[in-house]
Amino acid sequence: MTVVAQKEFYLQVVDWKTIIKEHGPAVWQTAYRLLGNDADAADCFQDTFVGALELSRRQRVRNFPALLVRLATTRAIDQLRRRFRRERIGSLENSRPEEPENNPNPAQYAQQQELATMLKTALVHLQPQEAQVFCLRYLNDMSYRQIANELGIKKSATGVILHRARLKLRQFFEVSSKEHKSEVTL
Amino acid sequence: MKEDENILEKAVKSLKNQHVPPGPSDELAEATVKKLKNISEQPDTIEFNRQIQLANRITLLNSFIKFAAAAVFLIIAGFAAGRLTTTKPPDIEQIQAVLEPAIRNRLFGEMKQYMQLGLANSYVRLKDDLSEQYRQDLNHLAANIVAANGNLTNQLLENLIESVNAAQMQQQQLFTTALEQIELNRRRDNAQLSNAFVTFATQTENELNQTKQDMVELFTYTQSDGFVPKELNNQKKIN
Repeated sequence: MTVVAQKEFYLQVVDWKTIIKEHGPAVWQTAYRLLGNDADAADCFQDTFVGALELSRRQRVRNFPALLVRLATTRAIDQLRRRFRRERIGSLENSRPEEPENNPNPAQYAQQQELATMLKTALVHLQPQEAQVFCLRYLNDMSYRQIANELGIKKSATGVILHRARLKLRQFFEVSSKEHKSEVTL
Repeated sequence: MKEDENILEKAVKSLKNQHVPPGPSDELAEATVKKLKNISEQPDTIEFNRQIQLANRITLLNSFIKFAAAAVFLIIAGFAAGRLTTTKPPDIEQIQAVLEPAIRNRLFGEMKQYMQLGLANSYVRLKDDLSEQYRQDLNHLAANIVAANGNLTNQLLENLIESVNAAQMQQQQLFTTALEQIELNRRRDNAQLSNAFVTFATQTENELNQTKQDMVELFTYTQSDGFVPKELNNQKKIN
């Protein structure tokens, strides 16, 4: 098979326009939820589909939605990690999304945003696979079996990784709450 | 720890329910499609991927060759070590002479034990079989005796019933005969009595008539004609 024929083969098999139309919103939601702004979410969106294209060249993709969500989660966490290293401030304040108009309870909204920012900061400190499994399970509601299939690991290993991630996140929140209390006391 | 768990759950909930503007925009989708198309149309991309695959294969082949060489080296080393550390072959006859009596005795003992065990088992099994056979024979004999007794009893009862029936029939016949005889005698006696009564009546009437006649004659001789009652005269006239 020549290069051109192979290229045509790939173009014929995968209709990326349809795939973006069908699964783009889920990818966008996954990326924006973690990154919190349009520019980073758009970069992550494009990187996700480029990664999917490269992957589809190497192997046959059986479940595009799950693959795209996994890639989007991975790219978004990588981007969060890069941003955290770049800023070196221990927080991700600029990752907060814009506040919706006519918010009925601003205090509660602010508290929720603070918790979400803390969780994103904690995810940066996890191992990449742990953060990925945690996001896929709790943010994208994927089952253990789906996660295991997507990551190429066993179902029991998924449970173990998720347990470790939860443990580390609890410890992170414990430390954060102690620091917060000491700051308030001072 | 429980509080941290709750905070974690709240944080997950907050992040999950975060407001996400609708997207992607049409421009972003178009740009992504164009980017994917550009990447797909780059001729060197596929060639590069093929080169990567070829390099991966070569790397895999190299590692396999190293692994095979290591395996061959290990096998040769093991064989050599085995040859060097091998002891002299033992004297088979001496071993045989030493081991044969012991093996023979042990085999004899084991065979004896095995035979005893087998005989004991056979004895127990035979005893059980004979007991079972004896029990079955007794049951069979008892069943036969019961059946024969039943048949004999039935036959005797049938004979008895037949005898009773015959006796009843005979008695009934005798009774009927007696009744018939009695009836015959009664009729005969009745007829004889009737005849006797008729005879007696006839004779009595004759005697009475004779007596009347005698009395008439007597009156006739002894008295006059006017003295004779009218009835005797009428009687005499009739006679």
